[in-house]
Amino acid sequence: MSIKLNHVSYTYSPKTPFEYEALRDVSLEIKDRSFLALIGETGSGKSTLVQHLNGLILPSEGEVQISHYLLSCENGKRKYVDLDRQEEFKGKKYRKKQFNIRNLRKYAGLVFQFPEYQLFEESVLKDVSFGPKNFGATDEEAEQMAKDALKLVGLDDSYLPRSPFELSGGEKRRVAIAGIIALNPSVLILDEPTAGLDPQGEKEMMELFKKINDAGKSVILVTHNMDIVLKYVDEVVVMHDGKLLKQTTPLKLFQDEKFLTTTAIEPPFVFKAAKALISNGLNLNLNNVKDIPTLVQEIKRIKHE
Amino acid sequence: MNNIALGRYIPGNSFLHKMDARIKIISLIVFFVGIFLSYGSSVQNFIMYGVYFVILFTLLKVAHLSFFSVLKSLKALWIMMLFLLVINTFAVQTGDVVFVINNFAVHEDGLVRTGYIIVRLILMITLTTLLTSTSKPLDLTFGLEWLLGPLKLLRVPVHIFAMTISLALRFIPTLMEEANKIIRAQASRGVDFAEGKLKDKFKAIISLIIPLFVSSFLRSGELADAMETRGYDPQGKRTKYRRKHWKMKETFQIIGCGCFLAAIILLAVYKPDFIATVQGWF
Repeated sequence: MSIKLNHVSYTYSPKTPFEYEALRDVSLEIKDRSFLALIGETGSGKSTLVQHLNGLILPSEGEVQISHYLLSCENGKRKYVDLDRQEEFKGKKYRKKQFNIRNLRKYAGLVFQFPEYQLFEESVLKDVSFGPKNFGATDEEAEQMAKDALKLVGLDDSYLPRSPFELSGGEKRRVAIAGIIALNPSVLILDEPTAGLDPQGEKEMMELFKKINDAGKSVILVTHNMDIVLKYVDEVVVMHDGKLLKQTTPLKLFQDEKFLTTTAIEPPFVFKAAKALISNGLNLNLNNVKDIPTLVQEIKRIKHE
Repeated sequence: MNNIALGRYIPGNSFLHKMDARIKIISLIVFFVGIFLSYGSSVQNFIMYGVYFVILFTLLKVAHLSFFSVLKSLKALWIMMLFLLVINTFAVQTGDVVFVINNFAVHEDGLVRTGYIIVRLILMITLTTLLTSTSKPLDLTFGLEWLLGPLKLLRVPVHIFAMTISLALRFIPTLMEEANKIIRAQASRGVDFAEGKLKDKFKAIISLIIPLFVSSFLRSGELADAMETRGYDPQGKRTKYRRKHWKMKETFQIIGCGCFLAAIILLAVYKPDFIATVQGWF
């Protein structure tokens, strides 16, 4: 149960004047329960990559395996294979019913960048329960799932009957994210979930994703915020110009000076400060430094030693 | 939906790209007139349509556009054509019987009439696409404004119309992109736009239309603000950064255009039996 990309390439609008190669030969494995960040400058293919992770985009070349679903493209024809049911359909001609793409979407829930624009129902409750209903939940079940998801994102019952369009930007974002969380996906994928949120909102959002990760789900997020990378995630994938440059841990990434200068990644302030303290003779353990409170704690620890 | 969005400007350096937008618009109108004229018998009409197609292909070649990529982006049109064919074969009961299916006679006129509509639609849409894909929206606005100029005497706010039209053209590809994004976002929430029962499809469409409307309204508000902060005043007189100069080349082009118009009108008025003439040569 993991996500694997094998030599995936993707080209937008092939054979037209707008042809654009967004991904070039990307191979990647995302293990279960991982908390992973995708970083890279705009146009490096991060958003294209995340859309491969729930089958919205099929690779032009190579294959994507998500849990037991195998997606590929052969001579321009989409091909879905359900590896668990391969025996059942062996030798039979390929038919659509052999594969239900919805199961895949439910396994890996994708929250787009600025998800506010996908709201459309007349009340928050209806909008959030829209997803579960599509995946076959009854009205009562869907409502319960929606209520739970909304509670998780920090919106209480008073929001349920309100129109999603009258909410503030941050609240809309929460409702939209709740719309995906309500599906209870095993892998939660988020494309810049904190873009445009205030620092407090950002922190609450990240704590929420951490909680979801601690509950045994994978969380994959696209971000430009290195503070988030240092503080929350276990694994970083660096993209550049459609290629995967590096898959590593935040600690190793921020310590690799040479790599940082070539990719113009700026380590977080806390990390630089901690390194400066170390170079001036303070025996800090970089593993423990995640943000300012943890840095202070680390300094205190050394003081008491 | 990933095909070339209709009406999108495709940068290039061809003869058509460099041509003055005013002349392109005038020629387009001349072509439209030609498409709707009748040149005698239906055979003669179709011969003329053939001529138009030859011209169209040449122009597409010149502009480095592919006819099939334009046709491919007209998927909805094919459904309409099928619909028209069915309606016409049922409704039109004049002319020779071509063939009979289960006691139902299919008449020649029905097929011919469908043929007319289809050919005219394809010609018109492709020609318009040719115009919009070889002219920058700003040039088009200028062209339209110039052509509608005489209406200014009647106190018609021509420049506002021109601005509205060019903005509408400008936002076709943006809206297509937006729609694509929303479709994918809703697909992540389990909406199936391709399959499902009628009721589900209805819901799927609503989940697309409402966000699209909301974002269009937001966008239009933002655009208005952006225009105002840059000093746009609908009542103000707009000066041009790039002035268009009317040169000899343009004069020749417009004369050529006029000759073509005269020729097709003459053909349509006198309806010469050119099939017989050609046969007479042999």
